[in-house]
Amino acid sequence: MLFFLLQTLVDHEVTIELKNDLSIRGTLKAVDQTLNIKLDDIMVLEEAKYPHLAAVRNVSIRGSVVRYVHLPAGTVDTALLEDATRREASNAAAAKGR
Amino acid sequence: MSFFGFDTSLPRDRGHPAMAPGFSQATDHFAGLSNADDDDDDGIDFEDTYDGLGDKLDEKDDAFNDETFGAPEEAIGKDFDFHGATARVADAMEEEHEVFNRSARNQSVARVAAAPTQPARVEPPTHVPVLRPDMSLWGSGPATTPQPEPQPDPTPVVPPVGRKILSLEEVEAQILANNEQKHQSSFQQPPAQAHQLPPQHQHTPPIVTPQLHQYPPPQHDLHQLQSQQFPARIQSMLQRNQTPPQVQHRQIPEQHPGGVPLQQQRMQPVAQPLHPSRNQYGMTNHVPTPQLQKMTEAEKARFLEEESKRLKRNHKIAQLARYNGLMTPADKNFITRIQLQHLVSINNAEDNANEDFYYIVHSAIRARTNPQQPLNQFAQTYLFRQSARGRNRQQDNHLQRMEQQVQRAVAAAKARPKASQLVLEGSLGKISFSNVKTPRPMLNIKKSDTSGGEPIRRTQRSTFSSADRKSLLRAIENVYDALLELEVHERERAKLPILMPDQQPQQAHVEWSTRRDQLVAKLWKETKIMEPIDPMSTATHPFIAILSYSKMKRAVQRIFRHLDPEQRVTVLTMIVVHLDILDVVKHGVYLPDETQLPSAVREEIEMFAASVLPPLLGYVYEAPLSIVIGLLGILLERVDVVAVSKTKIGLAFLTMFSSRAEIVKQAGGAPENELQQWQMMYDRLFDSLQGHWMECFPPGMFVDDVYVWQFLASIAVGANMPQQQALVSAVKDRVMENVRASKTLPPELGAQKSANVNLFMRAIGLDVELLG
Repeated sequence: MLFFLLQTLVDHEVTIELKNDLSIRGTLKAVDQTLNIKLDDIMVLEEAKYPHLAAVRNVSIRGSVVRYVHLPAGTVDTALLEDATRREASNAAAAKGR
Repeated sequence: MSFFGFDTSLPRDRGHPAMAPGFSQATDHFAGLSNADDDDDDGIDFEDTYDGLGDKLDEKDDAFNDETFGAPEEAIGKDFDFHGATARVADAMEEEHEVFNRSARNQSVARVAAAPTQPARVEPPTHVPVLRPDMSLWGSGPATTPQPEPQPDPTPVVPPVGRKILSLEEVEAQILANNEQKHQSSFQQPPAQAHQLPPQHQHTPPIVTPQLHQYPPPQHDLHQLQSQQFPARIQSMLQRNQTPPQVQHRQIPEQHPGGVPLQQQRMQPVAQPLHPSRNQYGMTNHVPTPQLQKMTEAEKARFLEEESKRLKRNHKIAQLARYNGLMTPADKNFITRIQLQHLVSINNAEDNANEDFYYIVHSAIRARTNPQQPLNQFAQTYLFRQSARGRNRQQDNHLQRMEQQVQRAVAAAKARPKASQLVLEGSLGKISFSNVKTPRPMLNIKKSDTSGGEPIRRTQRSTFSSADRKSLLRAIENVYDALLELEVHERERAKLPILMPDQQPQQAHVEWSTRRDQLVAKLWKETKIMEPIDPMSTATHPFIAILSYSKMKRAVQRIFRHLDPEQRVTVLTMIVVHLDILDVVKHGVYLPDETQLPSAVREEIEMFAASVLPPLLGYVYEAPLSIVIGLLGILLERVDVVAVSKTKIGLAFLTMFSSRAEIVKQAGGAPENELQQWQMMYDRLFDSLQGHWMECFPPGMFVDDVYVWQFLASIAVGANMPQQQALVSAVKDRVMENVRASKTLPPELGAQKSANVNLFMRAIGLDVELLG
């Protein structure tokens, strides 16, 4: 379900915070089943601290190293998201009960 | 027994010959080890270490040694003449050494080669020379001299690869052309050389060009060498290499015009049969080489063509297959498994009301709210959906096939008897297969109080008198589940066949409608709104209780859409009845000291105003006057109006009722009794609020008091003269204050304030301007 949520954010600007405390802002280009993320035209939030990424334009991030994905607030319809989560939870509960 | 008197006993029965040395004596284990006779200082004397077995060796049995080991033609001496043998081939090696040094590539190698031969000269380390094996060191016999030739090959192979095929063809053409000139009977050489030259043959076509540089000089030397013991293999090898170059470098034969043509002519038939028989991969063609010359012209041409095609194809295959074998079968299986899982998950996501479905809804709604990129999003959504379906059809085919295979495998596995237990040698016990993934579950022993607690909880749910947070939240979730089901069902309505206005509802429609009613009833039940109101009980009504959560407030808005008018009025009534119990009202009253409500309360108020009020408002504005009257009556009876009026929400309700009533009154067409009733209500309201007008206002100077003015305006509209006067006198001070403030404040705020006041003033029939 998170995959689909992220897929609705393709072509939006997001900030990915990694488990190693690196924060990268860029345009979300692609996301896959394991939540690997490809960003285009990135900018590192603390540039001075990570100079080795100064020349990097596009990145591909493995899903398991992501801690947070900071979304722009207006892109997510919270009510619909709540419904989606409820739906998923009830499905999961039904499946488990089965 | 023997006829002739022979001794017929077998050797093993004969026993040891007692006379033979070493057999009759008892073995002395410590022979040679005793130091008893030693007078010397060193521990072991060499003479004493000789254990005497060599002396005991019977020389008689050596008679057949020559037959066994082969008689040497000459005595094998212990001294080997290294220098002499080397000297014999020294010249050749020197020549090769020179040639190698002169090669354009490795100038530095010469220095490396020079250094070992001249160890006295110390070389300044200007640069690190390319480490290549020194030919003179390694050339100790004829068998190894072919080695240097392939070694310069690797780099020269690369540059002419592009031209290799062409040069090959050229070479073949040239060879075939030369084939008609001479026909020498050196056939015994080709077979002998064919099997010796395979390792080098791969490189000879590519090294055609670079070897030009290397071999022209030694040509005249080879003349001399030919007469020596120089092996025939090297001779032919070098000469064969020189034959192809004659195509490209005509000037080289000019150096030794006499020797070279003679050589070439002699060696052409040698080289030419070998050359076409091997290509880059050592694949021989099917035509045996000696027959090449017997073929006719046309056949030769065709053959050449086939050769070239084959070479090209092999070259392409080599390029494609360059990276073969990188993945093990285990890797390939791993990747295949991941792909299958992906296929399966994508396929399953097609289920209705599952993730994929919500993604569609999600993106559709987002697209609707983002007018900037509606088309893109829609196109993306629909295309994705369509393509997913199309892809899934293909995937389905593959999946079906795979499923069949899996079924077949499962059947086969079942048919095969499978061991249920595994017993390893040396291990203590058996490993049972079926229990590994489904371990025997532990016994669940519940404690007695929890088992007593469950029935209690059940009764709680039925009476819903508990107000604990968890059960309330659970109730809200049930409401949401019912709501979602209903909404999903609503979406399915679009899938029904379209009904023409005159048509009778079809079966599908009827079913859909019944189902919808069922769901609505379920939803209604979940809201607990029909729970009887018990005036005696101190517990809050369930509906009101869950309404205290913002989740429920948001849900009410969505629920309202599905309710019929009667249900809506029920909701409204319920809320009105409990108006002062509503959390937003209860907490909405300002305490004497605070100027602002706590933020949580403010949020709840906002939420209520945003989500609950609008649908109620919408209903009320459609409602007949009688409803309004009734509601206001209930309000006045059961609710503490004064307290309610101090809050925003409470005032909002009052405003709602009174404004609606006024509109109906002014629109006309309302029955007389209703108007009277309304008037009564109104007066009652007015009287109850009389004297408390000022309390309606929120404390503080710059607060938002629009709603108060709105309320006052709605009240004033229905007021008669004395009532109006009372109103005005009560709020006069406030009005003056506001007007004064609006003049001193910055323009926007001031304008707003005066507009607010104007609401009220206009209702009375006055205007702010009049006040000055």
